[in-house]
Amino acid sequence: MFYRENGQFKTSYKADQQVFAIPQDRWAIFALVVFAFVGVPMLVDEYMFRAILVPFLILSLAALGVNILVGYCGQITLGAGASMAVGAYAAYNFLIRVDGMPALAAILLGGLMAAAVGIVFGVPSLRVRGLYLAVATLAAQFFCDWAFLRIKWFTNNASSGSVSVADISLFGWTISSPTDKYLFCLGILVVFSVMAKNLVRGNMGRQWMAIRDMDVAATVIGIRPMYSKLTAFAVSSFYLGVAGALWGFVNLGSWEPAAFSIDRSLQLLFMVIIGGMGAISGSFFGAAFIVILPIFLNQMLPLVGSLLGLQVSIALVSHVEFIIFGSLIVFFLIVEPHGIARLWATGREKLRLWPFPH
Amino acid sequence: MAFFLETLLGGLMSGMLYSLVALGFVLIFKASGVFNFAQGAMVLFAALAMARFSEWIPAWLGMENLFVANLLAFVVAVAIMFVVAWLIERLALRHLVNQDGATLLMATLGIAYVLDGIGQTIFGSDIYKIDVGMPKEPVMMLESVFEGGILINKEDFIAALIAALLVISLSIFFQKTATGRALRAVADDHQAAQSIGIPLDRIWVIVWCVAGITALVAGIIWGSKLGVQFSLSTIALRALPVVILGGLTSVPGAIIGGLIIGVGEKLSEVYLGPFVGGGIEIWFAYMLALVFLLFRPQGLFGEKIIDRV
Amino acid sequence: MTDRTHSERIIFHDAIETMEVDFSSMTFADIAQVDAVYDEIERQLTATGQRWFFLVLYTDCVIAPEAWDRFAARGKSANVNHGRGSVRVDAKAETREAIRERAGKESFRSNIYDTRDQALLALGEMRKRQRDLAKGADEVFLRVDNVSLRFGGVKAITDISFEIKRGEISAIIGPNGAGKSSMLNVINGVYHPQEGTITYLGEVRQQMSPRAAACQGIARTFQNIALFKGMSVLDNIMTGRNLKMKANLLQQALWFGPAQREELAHRAKVEEIIDFLEIQHIRKTPVGRLPYGLQKRVDLARALAMEPELLLLDEPMAGMNVEEKQDMCRFILDLNDQFGTTVLLIEHDMGVVMDLSNFVVVLDYGKKIAEGTPDEVRADPNVISAYLGASH
Repeated sequence: MFYRENGQFKTSYKADQQVFAIPQDRWAIFALVVFAFVGVPMLVDEYMFRAILVPFLILSLAALGVNILVGYCGQITLGAGASMAVGAYAAYNFLIRVDGMPALAAILLGGLMAAAVGIVFGVPSLRVRGLYLAVATLAAQFFCDWAFLRIKWFTNNASSGSVSVADISLFGWTISSPTDKYLFCLGILVVFSVMAKNLVRGNMGRQWMAIRDMDVAATVIGIRPMYSKLTAFAVSSFYLGVAGALWGFVNLGSWEPAAFSIDRSLQLLFMVIIGGMGAISGSFFGAAFIVILPIFLNQMLPLVGSLLGLQVSIALVSHVEFIIFGSLIVFFLIVEPHGIARLWATGREKLRLWPFPH
Repeated sequence: MAFFLETLLGGLMSGMLYSLVALGFVLIFKASGVFNFAQGAMVLFAALAMARFSEWIPAWLGMENLFVANLLAFVVAVAIMFVVAWLIERLALRHLVNQDGATLLMATLGIAYVLDGIGQTIFGSDIYKIDVGMPKEPVMMLESVFEGGILINKEDFIAALIAALLVISLSIFFQKTATGRALRAVADDHQAAQSIGIPLDRIWVIVWCVAGITALVAGIIWGSKLGVQFSLSTIALRALPVVILGGLTSVPGAIIGGLIIGVGEKLSEVYLGPFVGGGIEIWFAYMLALVFLLFRPQGLFGEKIIDRV
Repeated sequence: MTDRTHSERIIFHDAIETMEVDFSSMTFADIAQVDAVYDEIERQLTATGQRWFFLVLYTDCVIAPEAWDRFAARGKSANVNHGRGSVRVDAKAETREAIRERAGKESFRSNIYDTRDQALLALGEMRKRQRDLAKGADEVFLRVDNVSLRFGGVKAITDISFEIKRGEISAIIGPNGAGKSSMLNVINGVYHPQEGTITYLGEVRQQMSPRAAACQGIARTFQNIALFKGMSVLDNIMTGRNLKMKANLLQQALWFGPAQREELAHRAKVEEIIDFLEIQHIRKTPVGRLPYGLQKRVDLARALAMEPELLLLDEPMAGMNVEEKQDMCRFILDLNDQFGTTVLLIEHDMGVVMDLSNFVVVLDYGKKIAEGTPDEVRADPNVISAYLGASH
């Protein structure tokens, strides 16, 4: 970051349209990805993979989905968990009901199914906006909670109500160890992130943002609100569905509908608010923050408590977590609605100019 | 027939309670355009305060009188809700003036989390009971009309009465008092109201206080029925369809919406539930509201939204 | 003088309505030679009894300085009497300069091309333009008939009719609340009138839809700037190209290939508009950070990116200072001139309206009280009493 971009001129629109237009940025990101694939597996222990990295990767993917809908298209959703559930259960059913279905195909089909359902639940967005839409997505959430709990067909008549998936394999590679799971999720996340970035920097993304920022003006220049909103719902639900399937297949192994409850929906929304609405990188920041904070508090609070001579119960830790999350939401909405991603960008901007103020 | 009527009445009673929570939503939305997701958290917070102080106060003062203890606890709880209202306005909403609805909604989600966290940290997270002397025994009504009569819970009946009373007094407050008029002016147009000298900040604090009191009443009624516990917080989720149905800006809408949802829930659960595996109460209300929303986006009594370019 | 007769150098291409004249390797030493050639040309032209496009080949043609004035005069008279337009091929540098100079004087375009193929291509476009114009002359460009619009009990527009001609700059004026913006909203389909019809490009309809309007080349700007606040200037203008972008969702997600090619092609077009409106320096700035005047300009840029036939401008100069107004006037005149865009604008600045427009419609309380040229409107007693009275 201690570099300056002046003196770097672009001579074609192609060069100007690159995702990372500054060569230093490009190399830094490339190095980061290589490190994630090669370096991390050599450095990190199993606990790290299971407790932090795998959840982080999958929730990042889900947050990407929510960000497309909320951050880019401006359609608030409280039903993200429902899309994850649809993805997970659809993938499960594809896997067990179709002979020889490859796991990856099942996961993607789960995503597609979630997209289809997402379109249906996106229909109210054509008539209602903002708060009303939030309520409509809640309807989706509660309906899915109920459906996967009560309709036995979805769970293959499992008596306990929970379903489980054995270790999946990909072209002969059995994904069983935490490292395998990490690499598998990382691969998917990288591909999906690139695609998300491509979508939001192109025509589709501009249409979404146009609908978000000023829908009447968008219609006047020929953007179809229905098409734009429903594609946002579809793409977002696809991402969420794939994330849901991964959450079930890879992270949990066996799960119940409660894994995708309204709490999950709110958690994803919070990730996007804290991480940064309308920024791809915000999804990663938000997911990292929300995965790490509880673990951090669990470690730190008892420590602080013992220093002060107080007994810190688990309940208290979870209450403090609530308070911190809640305050941060309000704080970010007031101070920096574009979240950590914008803070990061501003910081970089400042560093690039440093020591000059402008 | 008697069974149908019983279900219907049961629905109306619980609908009245939904209305009470919905009323809190409507009050705040009308005056400040905030869709207060934290209403449920406020209900929990208020109920927790009430329950714990009615326990603590007798212990501190060393007295036995349940009525006095409840009264004191109620006063303390009201005071606490005022402080909460003031803090919410001061720390959060004041800084979010002129933001769009979705942002405010998300902010209240945050506030809900904070309230849940603080409430349970201070007052504990077990199940507590509120005993304000509500009669628990059921009574039979209309025995002369139907064979066996209709079974009605006296407690529900009283609760419905209290709710009705609160609605009436709120209506009077809105229509007849100067503060009420100021509130309505603010609801119509923030800037115009401000320009004729209505202090916005104070009005908003007042609205949140009133919403706090409705939350307290709702908390007491629900709490004495079901016990005060964390799940009380999710009551807001039950009341949301009510507001959607009734229209966000209409007090009568909240009442009638509450009754419709209450009855709809009960009837659907009883007559439809068995066929689809039960437990449909919660989403049925939402679907009802949603279908309604598609045909009348502004709700039953809401104001029609016209886009200006 | 030459190895061919004059008549051999003249070929009529009936299919493309073009007369080709080959001056290559000819020398016009004096006025007499010029006359000799042009007499033959005029004779043949007169004989056909119709008008032609001219394709003139100048390869190695030499024209003596003393013959130049005669040459230009005869050329012009041929064009005026029998021509529909002309293209020239491969003039030598000095000939080229001379043609340019004289063309400038006579105020007609000097279409000079390097090869005959290029000239033919240009000729084709010229013919197409003329054909479109001829067709457009018969059909109604935009006409509203007896349009009424109500919001509940409030009458915003009552029984208004007027017609806009292709290629003109027209204006709607009137006091606040006269229904001007509502009229624009009716034309581009944001509001749906209860009564009346809108005829656009010969097609009659009860109401427009915003998308249909956009697809048929109606663009507009807004009174209270309606830019997409979260996006950069460039992205805002790029949204104006959305109707012309065809890559599907999957192609866009993969980016490389069709999506990228398309993106680059439209970027180039958008850059032309950015140059035209002189906003190069702010192309990467988020629009929210721009001053008001520049935002108005970006709003116009977004509309222009649609390459509209009809441009609706809702108070394009409201809230601007004098310099900004002058700039905006210049842009409106230029775009009307260069792209042939028809403009319908609402404006409160009477000076601007009277200077810019060919035709003015005056509304008051939702009714039309006058229409005509700026001078007619200015003289209209109704207008003076209703509107201008106060300011005169």
